[in-house]
Amino acid sequence: MGKSAELLPGTLDLLILKAVSLKPLHGYGVLLRIHQISGQALDIPQGSLYPALYRLETQGLIASEWGESENNRRAKFYTLTAPGKKRLREETDDWNRLAAAMAAALRATADEV
Amino acid sequence: MLSRLRTIAHSLFHRRRFEEGLAEEVRFHLEQYTQDLIAAGHSPEDAARRARIEFGNVDNVILDSREARGLRAFDTLQQRLRYAARILRKQPAFTATALATLAITVGANLAIFAIVDAVLFRPLPFREPDRLVAIYNTYPRAGVPDDGASVTNYYERRHAIDGLTSVSLYRDGAAIVGDVGATEREYVTRVTPEFFETLGVPLALGHGFTDADTEYGATYTAGRVAIVTTAYWRDHLGGGPPVLGRAIRMDGERIEVIGVLPPGFQFLSSTRGIYLPLASGSDSRGPNARHAGSSSHMIARVRSGLTIAQVQAQVDAHNSVVERTDPQAAMIADAGFRSLVIPLRDVEVAAVRPTLLLLEAGVLGLLLIGGVNVTNLFLIRASSRSREFALRQALGADRRHVIAEVLTESLLLTLTGGLLGLAAGAAGIRLLRALGASKLPLAGSLAFDGRAALAAIVASLVLGLAIAVPIAWCSLRSHSAGTLGAESRTTTAGRAAQRLRHAFLVVEVALAFVLLVGSGLLALSLQRVTEVDPGFRPAQVLSGQIALPWTSYQDGASRLTFMTRLLDALSAQPGVVASGISTNVPLSGNAIRAAVTVEGYVAAPGVPVRAVFPYAVRGDYFRAMGIPLVEGRLLSRDDDRLGNTAVVVDEDFARFYFPKGGAVGHHVQMGSRPAPGDPIHTIVGVVGAVKQAGLSSDEALGAVYYTYDTRFDNNVFVVARTTGDADALGTAMQRLTRQLDPELPVNNLSMMSSRVDRSLLTRRSPAVLAMIFASIAVLLTAVGMYGVLGYSVALRRREIGLRMALGARPGQIRSAFVGMAARLLISGGLVGLAGAWMTGHAMQALLYRVAPVSWPILAAATVVLGVVCLAACLLPSHRASRIPPSEALAES
Repeated sequence: MGKSAELLPGTLDLLILKAVSLKPLHGYGVLLRIHQISGQALDIPQGSLYPALYRLETQGLIASEWGESENNRRAKFYTLTAPGKKRLREETDDWNRLAAAMAAALRATADEV
Repeated sequence: MLSRLRTIAHSLFHRRRFEEGLAEEVRFHLEQYTQDLIAAGHSPEDAARRARIEFGNVDNVILDSREARGLRAFDTLQQRLRYAARILRKQPAFTATALATLAITVGANLAIFAIVDAVLFRPLPFREPDRLVAIYNTYPRAGVPDDGASVTNYYERRHAIDGLTSVSLYRDGAAIVGDVGATEREYVTRVTPEFFETLGVPLALGHGFTDADTEYGATYTAGRVAIVTTAYWRDHLGGGPPVLGRAIRMDGERIEVIGVLPPGFQFLSSTRGIYLPLASGSDSRGPNARHAGSSSHMIARVRSGLTIAQVQAQVDAHNSVVERTDPQAAMIADAGFRSLVIPLRDVEVAAVRPTLLLLEAGVLGLLLIGGVNVTNLFLIRASSRSREFALRQALGADRRHVIAEVLTESLLLTLTGGLLGLAAGAAGIRLLRALGASKLPLAGSLAFDGRAALAAIVASLVLGLAIAVPIAWCSLRSHSAGTLGAESRTTTAGRAAQRLRHAFLVVEVALAFVLLVGSGLLALSLQRVTEVDPGFRPAQVLSGQIALPWTSYQDGASRLTFMTRLLDALSAQPGVVASGISTNVPLSGNAIRAAVTVEGYVAAPGVPVRAVFPYAVRGDYFRAMGIPLVEGRLLSRDDDRLGNTAVVVDEDFARFYFPKGGAVGHHVQMGSRPAPGDPIHTIVGVVGAVKQAGLSSDEALGAVYYTYDTRFDNNVFVVARTTGDADALGTAMQRLTRQLDPELPVNNLSMMSSRVDRSLLTRRSPAVLAMIFASIAVLLTAVGMYGVLGYSVALRRREIGLRMALGARPGQIRSAFVGMAARLLISGGLVGLAGAWMTGHAMQALLYRVAPVSWPILAAATVVLGVVCLAACLLPSHRASRIPPSEALAES
């Protein structure tokens, strides 16, 4: 699956929320979508996907419903709930702030100190 | 949070569907990935293999997902519970003892708590009940602690005291209700117009009384209207509409129902169904009637934000203003007069509060003994499992795991015990009812309800946690001591555990001792009260109450005629030795006091006036009641003539007013300030004093027996002494009364001996309960003693075997163990002695002629506890003395 970056701790939940926010997805679909939207850069360990999905569902951030997959198989589809949307927004902001801060910090040169 | 719980609950309840869904999801994932890999050019076998490798261990993923759903905790709990239940089932003797202990102690606590809660804690069912107060006049130095409030008080205070937003007066009475021939005496309450407004209870139907309803008209009959409770409407008026405007026949008159109270309405402990306007004339509203003590009571609502003390100050200030013009002011002040403002509930329950609190303390002591006992049993068991725990910890078991296991076991046990306790408590409440608990004030609604059940469950949980602490500590200690050998007396953990067990046993012995002594004091006090001479001979004396309705017996002559004919008819009955009537009988529950003026008696300065118990008698009252003559002569049937001013006084009266004797021939007048022309009564005899207010009442206020012919009260007791069957006489009394007047029922029919018995109820029932508690406590302590000693013996089998091998005699071994038990008993007894001393002093107010420290009781308690506990340790000691020397060689 090409060169992939290590997943930072705590980012898996955020990525799942983002993935299901675009369109209802089944578990495997979440995996593919994250791979796709990260430009094939992020590869998540498959085994940790399902515990994360169940945890998010227990927290009420996503909801699930059984439906039909693209190839007419029974599959469980996840959607983002209202609290999930709120959480996604908050975490996205946090992440952007952190990323900007990190970038600024790493750009610093000796003159600026 | 809620949605989270719902998700977890959903998964738990649909566990199978959850598991299947999880498996299917994982399967779908693997298949899709495999297909994608095949599409990307892998061979089917290779694709399937790679998919499984990249996915990781399927079982782990499923396990982690399950845990992510929060289900693992439940799985573990279920496992633990199953394990704990198995362990408990494997030790039936231990489990049964512990469960029985818990069931009995929790049940006893539940039952007592239900009463205490109903009487002392549950808010009164009125709007903002904390703002409701009773205001009553007290004349402590005249021997009248509570004289209610007068009609004058009401009209003077009604709008005059800023701190009271609403003031009302009520007076309990009786009326004869129903159609001719089917009349019943019905208890009624007369109230002022704003009564229900003061309580904050809106009428369900109709409207309240008006001021016009409380005005005596020319005919002396007030507005003929009534407000009834929903229960009365349902039970006596058919329950159907229309209720407003319906007539109730009362004392021969038509009374119109103008209002209905909401369902469930009850004024404190009263079960009265009919409320009438409290009417009065201008004479009873004026200053002269201010201290008339008209057996009415005042309730009021305090302005919100004010304290009782502030309102009390306002009432005091108001009193001092109105008293300024009172000609009797000095005398009233000498009597210690004040109008007390007291929270309504406190007034209602004041008499029973100390007893209830004492019982609650006793039953909590019992709970403590039960808890300590179960803890000790647990400790013994934990010690015998200390090897297992030590081994498991050595093999890497988590401390948390050990604690969780101990906690699961103790909680499972205490919760089960608590549930059994619920059943025991329900039975206990029935027992308490049989002992007369529902006659306590505010206990009418005493029931086994959710509040009590919740209290029991919470108590069981707390108990479970409390028990777990020392056991977990011991179980963990056994590891830190590093012993994998059996607990022996030489290891520190063993010694610590033993010290703890022994300390608990000492506590248990001490508590049992205190309970024994406390119940002994109550029993002795009851015994002393029953030994009190009531002043009359209660056996074979029947008494019943008749109220002559005002409407048909307006003048004295008509009442006298009725009384004469009734007494004539009664004396003609076979077996009747003597009969008479009196306005009050001893122990009737009514202890009216009244002022009296004794000619020639001048109180020393500062000595307050003294009230007496007034009676008006007719016929052979003294002979019927069995009240002995001391001096002079009795009033008898020969004195039944209009205007006869002869009176008889009792010894207490004679002793107070005529300390040098010679009361006969002196004159007395009713009231503290007789008017000119009031009858002057001559004392013709002195009789023995009776206990009017209660057997244990040592007030000795004195009594004056007027002739009925000068008082004509319309509410009297008929009393008859018989040599025959009292039940038959009761029926005859009712029949004879109906023959004379078909409207008149006889109420409150009771043998005087039953009245004596009933007056002891408030002493007997607590004493019986305390005895039951103490017996259980002693039994539990004996069980505890047996357990601890038995365990000690088991622990020291090798050592004992060795000593036997070295030549010790069985008797020596036995006495060593009995000696250990005796030492524990003595330590517990000494601690208990201190507790008993404190308890005795704390309950002194409840005791009658019993000192707080009673040596015979202490001795008896010591003997009972000592004998029972030593008996309990005989079996284990005996077993110890029979251990064969070969035990010395046995493997530990």
